[in-house]
Amino acid sequence: MWRYFFRRVSLFLATTLIMMAVLFYTTHLFPVDEHYALSGVQQPTAEQIEQINNDFNLESNRFSQFLAYVQQRLSGNMGVSNNSQQQVYEELKTVLPASFELSLFSGFIALIFGVPIGVIAALSKNKLVQRSILGLTLTGYSIPVFWLGLSLSLWFGVNLGWLPISGQINLLYQIEPVSGFMLIDTLLSNSTYSQQAFIDALMHLILPAITLAVLPFTLIVRITRQAMLQVMNQTYIRAAEARGLHTLKIIIRHALPNAMIPVLKSIGIMLGSFASYGIVVEVIFSWPGVGSWLVSGIYQRDYTVIQAGILSVSLLIIFLSILIEFVHTAINPMSKKELYATY
Amino acid sequence: MPPIKIYKQDYIASPAGRVWKAFSHNPFALIGLWGVGFLLVLTLLAPFIAPYSVNEQNQQILLLPPSWDPLGHVEYFLGTDDLGRDIFSRILHGVQLTFGMSLIIVTCALFFGFIIGAISGMMRGLKSSILGHLLDGLLSIPSLLMAILVVAVIGPGLSNVFWAVGIAMVPQFIRTIHQAVHEELQKEYVTAAKLDGANDLQIFWYVIMPNIWEALIIQVTMAISAAILDIAALGFLNLGAQAPSPEWGAMIAQGLDNLLLAPWTVTIPGVAILFSVLAVNLVGDGLRSAIAPIRN
Amino acid sequence: MTVFLKQRFHLMFVCLSGLLLSACSQATLPPGLVYCSEGNPESFNPQLVTSGTTIDATSHQLYSRLVNYNPDLGDIVPGLATDWQISEDGLSYTFNLRQNVLFHQTQRFKPQRVFNADDVLFSFNRIIDSQHPYHSVSRTGYPFFQSISFEQLISSIEKVNDYQVIFHLNREDASFLSNLATDFAVVLSAEYAEKLLKDGLPEQIDLQPIGTGPFQLTQYIKNEYIRYIRHPNYWGAKPDIEHLVFDITPKSTARIAKLITGDCSVSALPKAGELAVIDQHQHIKVDAKPGLNVAFWALNTQKPPLNDIRVRRALAHAIDKQNILDVVYNDIAVEASGILPPASWAYSKNLTSNEFNPAKAKLLLEQAGVKNLDIDIWAMPVARIYNPNALKTAELIQGDLAKVGVKINIVSYDWSVFTQKLASDDYDSVLIGWNADNSDPDNFFTPLLSCAALASNNNRSKWCQADFDHLLTQAQKTTVREERKAFYQAAEAILSDRVPLIPIAHAQKVILKKDTITSMQVRPYGGIAFAKIVQNPQESN
Repeated sequence: MWRYFFRRVSLFLATTLIMMAVLFYTTHLFPVDEHYALSGVQQPTAEQIEQINNDFNLESNRFSQFLAYVQQRLSGNMGVSNNSQQQVYEELKTVLPASFELSLFSGFIALIFGVPIGVIAALSKNKLVQRSILGLTLTGYSIPVFWLGLSLSLWFGVNLGWLPISGQINLLYQIEPVSGFMLIDTLLSNSTYSQQAFIDALMHLILPAITLAVLPFTLIVRITRQAMLQVMNQTYIRAAEARGLHTLKIIIRHALPNAMIPVLKSIGIMLGSFASYGIVVEVIFSWPGVGSWLVSGIYQRDYTVIQAGILSVSLLIIFLSILIEFVHTAINPMSKKELYATY
Repeated sequence: MPPIKIYKQDYIASPAGRVWKAFSHNPFALIGLWGVGFLLVLTLLAPFIAPYSVNEQNQQILLLPPSWDPLGHVEYFLGTDDLGRDIFSRILHGVQLTFGMSLIIVTCALFFGFIIGAISGMMRGLKSSILGHLLDGLLSIPSLLMAILVVAVIGPGLSNVFWAVGIAMVPQFIRTIHQAVHEELQKEYVTAAKLDGANDLQIFWYVIMPNIWEALIIQVTMAISAAILDIAALGFLNLGAQAPSPEWGAMIAQGLDNLLLAPWTVTIPGVAILFSVLAVNLVGDGLRSAIAPIRN
Repeated sequence: MTVFLKQRFHLMFVCLSGLLLSACSQATLPPGLVYCSEGNPESFNPQLVTSGTTIDATSHQLYSRLVNYNPDLGDIVPGLATDWQISEDGLSYTFNLRQNVLFHQTQRFKPQRVFNADDVLFSFNRIIDSQHPYHSVSRTGYPFFQSISFEQLISSIEKVNDYQVIFHLNREDASFLSNLATDFAVVLSAEYAEKLLKDGLPEQIDLQPIGTGPFQLTQYIKNEYIRYIRHPNYWGAKPDIEHLVFDITPKSTARIAKLITGDCSVSALPKAGELAVIDQHQHIKVDAKPGLNVAFWALNTQKPPLNDIRVRRALAHAIDKQNILDVVYNDIAVEASGILPPASWAYSKNLTSNEFNPAKAKLLLEQAGVKNLDIDIWAMPVARIYNPNALKTAELIQGDLAKVGVKINIVSYDWSVFTQKLASDDYDSVLIGWNADNSDPDNFFTPLLSCAALASNNNRSKWCQADFDHLLTQAQKTTVREERKAFYQAAEAILSDRVPLIPIAHAQKVILKKDTITSMQVRPYGGIAFAKIVQNPQESN
């Protein structure tokens, strides 16, 4: 197990380095001055140039430049945003929690609806139920997320006027960021409007979260169904049936935990496209997260923001997918035998 | 004259034949196949079918609703946009950009992915492991981020969509092929061929290749649907195809201004994207369930 | 697993009940008003800019002027100056200043004294005195003041006592008071400037503003919002709203959606077509007034092929303005024959305007001997009062010119990049416009097309003609309205003849608001003002 653990850690480090190398390389391809691309200061003074040269080792060879780049970026020196003149690192700290809030919430929605529906699809003997669930998931899987988001906001926001479709909260509520999660911060806030603010924040979260939940939801339904079908044919399930256990108990205690293992793995694989979808959803619903921040960064050619956004998002994805793979292996005795298999 | 059958014989279909048999028994998959065929025809013929040219503006009829609306006009089947351009013609021209381009991208990605994947798959030990795992890591970088990086370097435009989506797609192919080759390499029949003295190239081409086709085909269909969605998403974010272009995602972005007034300028391109992705996915799904029992 | 599931169901129950709760209960909002604005301000000092977005966010919220416009009658009323006298020769203006006016008090700055003559001197000397320590603190310059040659106009500003100042002019200028009443001529705090200079942070004066206006800035987060709070010691009538928030929402559709779902109460710059949607929503009202503005297509007269007058004339004949009005403005604008809008007192129909005539355009192009003309149009990416959709306008022009054989490439950048590049780059032509800051007709000519404006980059046509400038100076010297009107008509005729720009439309100024807002003035010129808005306590849905 330890050996496996170290292999994953070294894989994480290696991938991080490659990612940094790609970024380092493209930074030099940006159609602007090197100093500007690295620091975000458009017209640096002589002292600033000196400072940048020092920080990024610009006078020595490419390799030590790269090392300096890695060191600077990982220690939080992301430069300033040319557009807002703020430290990129500080901005990143405010946008990342907002994105987490949205993705956790929609992941949660996808799980609580996806797993039961997947189980139903697997167990149902009714062809119509099966077909319609499968058709639904295939449509959900094929639907362009920006179109879905627009349609939902058109219906529920504009035509019906039920749900807000833009931003995180009504701006009249002044919420001090503590955790960065709006839902938590509204509850922590000691203003008299704390409860209303919480409800308002929740209302703002619903539409973007549902839009973002569609992709993981459909995948979870499909994979839960497949896994359940496989598990239900296993001998231990038949043994449990033979012992006369209640069907519900069999499903919850014996089948589901085993069926969840491939679901976990699929979540890891899905992370990349989930992040892509998240970026689009944030743009549509003007959610102040890392996705819309990154996209406005590219519109404004804010090169430091682009680097920081890509770096943070991809590192997060790499980290999470390796973590999920690791957890998957740890809880799944079946896959352990692969650990020591020779290649 | 066909040969007369003297003996009762069981006709055993080739693997491809069996896949086709299973596939054609699935009505959804067939619908999908028809859809894909329809799109392919349109890709080739769209400019000849379209009643108007892409950017022909008719200022007399702005934001005309689709023809089934009482206010609509049958000459403009799907209505017009805010510059009086025929949406039907634009959708037809858009097939080439959104669907046709996804085919080109997937072909190119497949080509490079195949070569690298096959080489890394045939290799053993550390080298193979490094290639495989590093690609695992790179695979997790979303194509949109890749696109943003490409746009930062070369600016927005249709050509960078090619690079962005293509670059993001290559690792997926490498990984699929790498894994498929790896799996096959462990099997006994490969060992048998090795004992017969076949060299690596021969083993790969004659022994392994015929057995990884299915995995490849499934991956290709998945890649096509992903590519369509990516191209459209980039167009929508204004990072891909730019304003007057009839790329479907860009059409949605252009319709955004009139979302409240003329929702069909957004809905119709959206339905077009949905239709093509759905068709491709139906085919992919059908193939997968047709191949699955044969492989096992 | 079961425990886990139980927890999960419990959580789900809590969430669902939360949803139900939210659907049933009517939440009340904190007192205040949210305005959906269209973009980020470039600075918090209106002296440094000409962009309407910045003016909206600063001028009437944070600052006061010496004199103000009365939007109803168009005359000049007291602001920080209670009254003023003009000398016989028209060369010196004496202002008596208001007493006991307090500046904003923030965490970083606690004013020790009330407003006095030093603040006036500081605010204007900063602009006219190139030796002033604050003159070059911000690198943008003072585009409005440069374009009206303010530096050359004022010989000195004299402090008589703490509450009296005299402006000495070098020449007569009928538009001087009007220019002091513009959104740009705000009064800053000299004491604050001194403190910042001591702290070594002079540039903060334009970023952390201190003024005497009805609101003070509390927080600004770029791309997201600007928060203001009521200035407790405001010298004028106390504003009704306590908190003011600018919700920065660049997309027009999103602004309307926010208005419908109640995330904001007032919204600017709807796209023309969207007004039909607004009509379906009872609780949203549309306020429209003829605006003092003009949208035009400025041609770079210094760059071939547009330096050829025949080419410019040809372009003017090739554009179907009526079509642009239909498509882009959707009946909320009138066609522009010259740059003065009908709402201006100096307006009279310009008979010399270049009519739409593609055949003539072709002929002119042939005479000029240019073939395969290829022109870039820069189009603003954002909605402005004078042009709700410049990109669409550009596409229409593209279509029109294709018919006379001219190829148009549309160029656009993000707004902040766009304005920067416009100042530095060598463009062919640009679709832009002008929103008047005061009701004086000079405001349409001198800031836009004079040689002085060329230096301040405000002259988008890069056009400088001595006879035209001469006309404008003459028009400034007289105070007789009929005479001035004649001069401006002559100026309009020159413009139609030499075509440094092609006027397109004069748009109405449209503001959308919820019906809870009972009183709000829409000013035909300049930025938006929130001090006098009255609203009923609102309920969110």
